[in-house]
Amino acid sequence: MLSRSALRRGALRCQFAQPVQKRYLAEAASGSFQYQTGDASGVKIASRDLAGPTTTLALVSKAGTRYQLLPGLTEGLEKFAFRGTERRSALRIVRESELLGAELESYHSRENLVIGAKFLRDDLPYFVELLAEVASSTKYLPHVYTEEVLPLIKLAHKKFLASPKAIALSSAHSLAFHRGLGTPVSPASATPYTKYLAADTIEYFAQFAYAKPNFAIVANGAEHADLSKWVNEFFGGVSAKAPEDLLQSVRDKQTKYYGGEERIAHGSGNSLVLAFPGSSSFTGGFYKPEIQVLASLLGGKSSIKWSSGFSLLSKAAASPGTSVETKSAIYSDAGLLYININGTAENVSATAIEAVKTLHSIAGGKISAEDIKKAKAAAKFQELETGQDITAGLELTGSGLTHGSKAYQLDETAKAIEGVTDAQVKAAAKTLLESKATVSAVGDLFLLPYAEDLGLKV
Amino acid sequence: MSQPSLAPFVLKRQWLTRWMKPLANWYANASGYRKLGLRADDLIPEENDTVMLAIKRLPPKEAYDRVFRMRRAFQLSLSHQLLPKEEHTKPEEDVPYLTPLIEEIEAELKEREDLEAMVITKPTTQKKHGPKMYH
Repeated sequence: MLSRSALRRGALRCQFAQPVQKRYLAEAASGSFQYQTGDASGVKIASRDLAGPTTTLALVSKAGTRYQLLPGLTEGLEKFAFRGTERRSALRIVRESELLGAELESYHSRENLVIGAKFLRDDLPYFVELLAEVASSTKYLPHVYTEEVLPLIKLAHKKFLASPKAIALSSAHSLAFHRGLGTPVSPASATPYTKYLAADTIEYFAQFAYAKPNFAIVANGAEHADLSKWVNEFFGGVSAKAPEDLLQSVRDKQTKYYGGEERIAHGSGNSLVLAFPGSSSFTGGFYKPEIQVLASLLGGKSSIKWSSGFSLLSKAAASPGTSVETKSAIYSDAGLLYININGTAENVSATAIEAVKTLHSIAGGKISAEDIKKAKAAAKFQELETGQDITAGLELTGSGLTHGSKAYQLDETAKAIEGVTDAQVKAAAKTLLESKATVSAVGDLFLLPYAEDLGLKV
Repeated sequence: MSQPSLAPFVLKRQWLTRWMKPLANWYANASGYRKLGLRADDLIPEENDTVMLAIKRLPPKEAYDRVFRMRRAFQLSLSHQLLPKEEHTKPEEDVPYLTPLIEEIEAELKEREDLEAMVITKPTTQKKHGPKMYH
C-alpha cells in the first residue's frame, strides 16, 4: 500500500535538513524579472524565485521540429514524456503527481521541446528526479508507442487538418524557411507516423534531445541553490554527449529566407497569411526591434474583448467577423513577420488588399507619429508581459540557454524597443515590401487572391 | 494466463529441481504438442483480455511464427498426422515467449488495483520549523 507519507518522505526529509527559507520581498519587487543562470554537473540551469507557493519547472530541450532527425520525431518524443520509465510505470507517475497536486505537461514548438510540471514548492526534489528519469530512463517500448503514443499523434494530425489557420501558418513557414524552421509543427500528413516513426527511432532521437549540452532546466518559483543541489543529485545519469550527428551542420546552419506562394483548398474556413522576413532573437544576430514595433503598429487584435480595436489593420478589417492578427514570430536566428487573416473568403480578400495598402502607407510615411508611439508602447508592454509570463518566460529562457548559453534578456529587448525611431519603422516597412513575400492562402481558392493580385512580390 | 503453480517453489530448491527435472521433461514430451510443431505457450487459452493484449504486443516475427505453427498444427490434426521426427519442436526451442508478456500485463493490472485501493493518510510528523512563510 502506498501512503502519501511514503511519497512525501523525500520532500519532508529535505525540509528538515534546511533552515527556514527567507524570501525577501525586495528582491522580487525590484522590477527585474531576470533569470539567474548557472551550471550543475554539466546541465545548464536557470531559475527565478518569484514569491508564491508554487513552482513551475521545465526541461527545455533543443529538440523542436527544426532539429528533428526525421519527420514526426519531435511529436513522438513529446508524447513519450512521462510514459513508463525503468523505475516506475506511467500510471504510477500520474497517480503520484495527482496525489502531490501537480500538473504535468509537455509540448513542442519549432525550436524547443518543453517537458514540465507545476507543483507546490516543497515537492521540488520529487519533480527534479522525475524529469531526470524522463530524460534518462524512459522505456521506449513498441507496444507503448502503438497503444498510447500513436493515437495521440493521429489526433494531432486530425486537429491540424481541421484548422485552416494552422495549415496557413505552417505553409507560410515552409515557404519562408524550407527545411529547418520550415518543418511543420504538427504532422501535416500520415507519412511521418507511417513511414518514419517507430519506438526505436524515437529512442535514438531521445539520445540527442536529452544529452546534457542540448537541454536546460528552468524553474520559476524555486531558489537557485535548491535547484542547483537537486539537479546535481539527480541529473548525473543523463548522458553527457549526444551520438555523432551527421546532419548537425545542416540543421544548425543559419536559416535562410526564401519566400514564395502556396494555395491550399480547404472546405471549412478561410485563412490567408502574408509573411515577410522578420527579426531574430536578441542574441541571434539579426535582431530588429523595429519589426516588433511594426507588428504592433499593424496590430489587428484588441486587448478589449468587445471591440476589434483601433490598430491599423483592425480598422482595415472588412467586417467585425474577420479576425486579423499581426505577429512577429521570433526564432533563434531568424524570424517571420506575418499578418494572418481569417473569416469568409470575400472578407479575407478585401482585408488582404487593405492590409497591403496599409503597409504601403507606412512605408510612404503617411502614419502619424502618435500612432507609432502607441505602437511602441504596445510592443514594449507585450515584450515585458511575455517575459513576465511563466510559461513563455520558461521556454524563452531555456531556448536562449540551449541555443547560445545566454538567458533571455528581457531588459535589453525592452530598451531596444524604446529606442526605435519613426524613420526606422518606415524603412522597415519599405524593406518588407521590396523583399520577396510569402503568401499562403487556405480555403475557397476561387475567391482568395493571388500574391500578384495583392501587389506583393513572390 | 498465469495460474497458481508449484514451479517457483521447486526451482528455488536446486536438489528438488534436479530430482524433478527428468520427470518434467518426460511429461512435456509425452504431452505430444511438440510432435505437432507447437510450443507450450501456443496452448495458452487466448479467450480473455489479458492474453489477447499479450498477443497484440508480440513482435511481428513472433506473431507470424505463432500463426504459422497453429495453422500447421490444425492441418496435422485434420489429417490425423504427426510431423516427421526432424521437425518436432526441440526442447531448446520450446521457450515461453508469451508468458513473460502475460505476467507483465497482469502486473500492470495489479498495480492499478493496488493504486485504486490506496489509503491516503496525512503525514503524522510535525514540521519542526513551523509553517513556511509565503509573501
